[in-house]
Amino acid sequence: MLKKYKPFLRAGAIDTTAYRFNILIWAVITVCEVACMVFLWLAVYRSSEGGMDAEIHGFTYREMIAYVVLTTIFNFVTYNNDTLWNINADIKKGTVGNYLIKPISYRGKFAATSLGNLFTMTLMFGVPLYAAALVTLGVLGFLPDLSFPAFFAHLGLFLLSGLSASLLNDTIAYIFGVLCFYTSSGWGLNSLKVTLISFLSGTLLPIAFFPKGLRDVVSWMPFAGMSQNPVLILMMKYDLTESLRCVALSFAWIVVLELFAKLLFSHAVRKVTVHGG
Amino acid sequence: MRYVHLYFTCIKRSMISRLEYKKDTIVALFSFFFSNLCSLAAIYFILQAIPALSGYSLPEVGFFYGFSMLPISLDHLFSDEFWLVAYRRVKDGDMDMHFLRPVPVMFQVFAETFQPEGFGELILGVALITVCALNLTVNVTFGAIVVLCVGAVFGAIIITSLKVAMSALAFIFKRSGPLLQVIYNFSSYAKYPLAIYPGLIRALLIFVLPFGLFISLPVDTLLYGKYNPWLLSLAIIGCAAVFFALATWIWTICERRYESTGS
Repeated sequence: MLKKYKPFLRAGAIDTTAYRFNILIWAVITVCEVACMVFLWLAVYRSSEGGMDAEIHGFTYREMIAYVVLTTIFNFVTYNNDTLWNINADIKKGTVGNYLIKPISYRGKFAATSLGNLFTMTLMFGVPLYAAALVTLGVLGFLPDLSFPAFFAHLGLFLLSGLSASLLNDTIAYIFGVLCFYTSSGWGLNSLKVTLISFLSGTLLPIAFFPKGLRDVVSWMPFAGMSQNPVLILMMKYDLTESLRCVALSFAWIVVLELFAKLLFSHAVRKVTVHGG
Repeated sequence: MRYVHLYFTCIKRSMISRLEYKKDTIVALFSFFFSNLCSLAAIYFILQAIPALSGYSLPEVGFFYGFSMLPISLDHLFSDEFWLVAYRRVKDGDMDMHFLRPVPVMFQVFAETFQPEGFGELILGVALITVCALNLTVNVTFGAIVVLCVGAVFGAIIITSLKVAMSALAFIFKRSGPLLQVIYNFSSYAKYPLAIYPGLIRALLIFVLPFGLFISLPVDTLLYGKYNPWLLSLAIIGCAAVFFALATWIWTICERRYESTGS
């Protein structure tokens, strides 16, 4: 009698574990990557002239490890890649046409989704992960002295910079998504975007390591606000004035990039080829 | 002979379908070079701040990075389709057609895609090791050259075997892409000299997931003559044979358990 439900039972069990398995696998991959970076940095500090106590470009080895861990969490919480792929899918399936005749803004739809994502991600993963990381790193003495009243001001600015980072991520993903109107496929554009962001945002290594000219240019670009600056605000490596400057710069860039995206879209939409629909 | 002909026919068809997105392929190629340039720049900037990385100078570290690209790119050229099998094709019920044809399924998967991007990686790797080698003063022995070639070619066979074995698990679990990803990502550990890792990781990279065996040890043999090139070559070839045999065996077993998911 109940036998005929067995396949459903099995499918249900597999389905549930499939998602759990994915999160587990993601955690394993991330831990392996972070470990690789940590080993590399430890070797770098061991090999430096001042030994393990050296400060390289303003970072001790403890701060560098804290930086690697916190940027990983920050990127996980604020990063969003759906915008580009959704636009790409809309172009391929031809559903982009449906949005063009609806009384909502195509751009606004993605921005709203992105903020919704940020909200859930911050509550579900951000709060516990940041708390665990800050406590662990703090107890190990890997964070510079967090003097308490000032820390709350930094925490506030950090949250604000998380918001701007998420919006910047979404705007840049949208611009690259609109460029798919010209190439009809998103693979190449996506990998270009991923590389640009990981190098120029300080995820690969802090921008302080770049040679002087390049460093000056990159620190005025929008990318540093997507990973390096928020984390350095949280670690209190920046004072309040510097932190405020970073947040203001990010919001200024959001305005500029939004305007650019608007212009680009109005040009690209004339190129649109609807493949079926 | 029949298979060689069949392989080229299939590859030709796959290339034609690739040309559908010409502009995107050009952007992809550009971004591939750009991404390697960024990684190299990162290593260069880090090494500017210190005298040497665990005793390895900048051209030596560059040589490790460049050499690691050779087996990875050779594997990339021929076996890219296994990623799709692991991630999507079994789950989507897309494999049925292969089981209806009178040719081994594994062969068909190999023949499905040829990734010309691999050439970009190969050329970049060769260029990088040439530039670095010109800035090094090493005693190049015949044995060292042999062990490097063995490392590149048989290393590629080991990587492909890992891919075959991991993607075969998709026949049972429907989706094994993430697992394949975990294993594959360990190859990025071999981009740096093994000396920077603690003993346990070093042992793991030589004896379990042998990326260190065919990337790091041959380079150490060239730079410092640390190992006997002939014994090392033998070890790499033996390891490749074992991995390939195991992979084929796992594939055959999993293939028999295949159940279509419908579509």
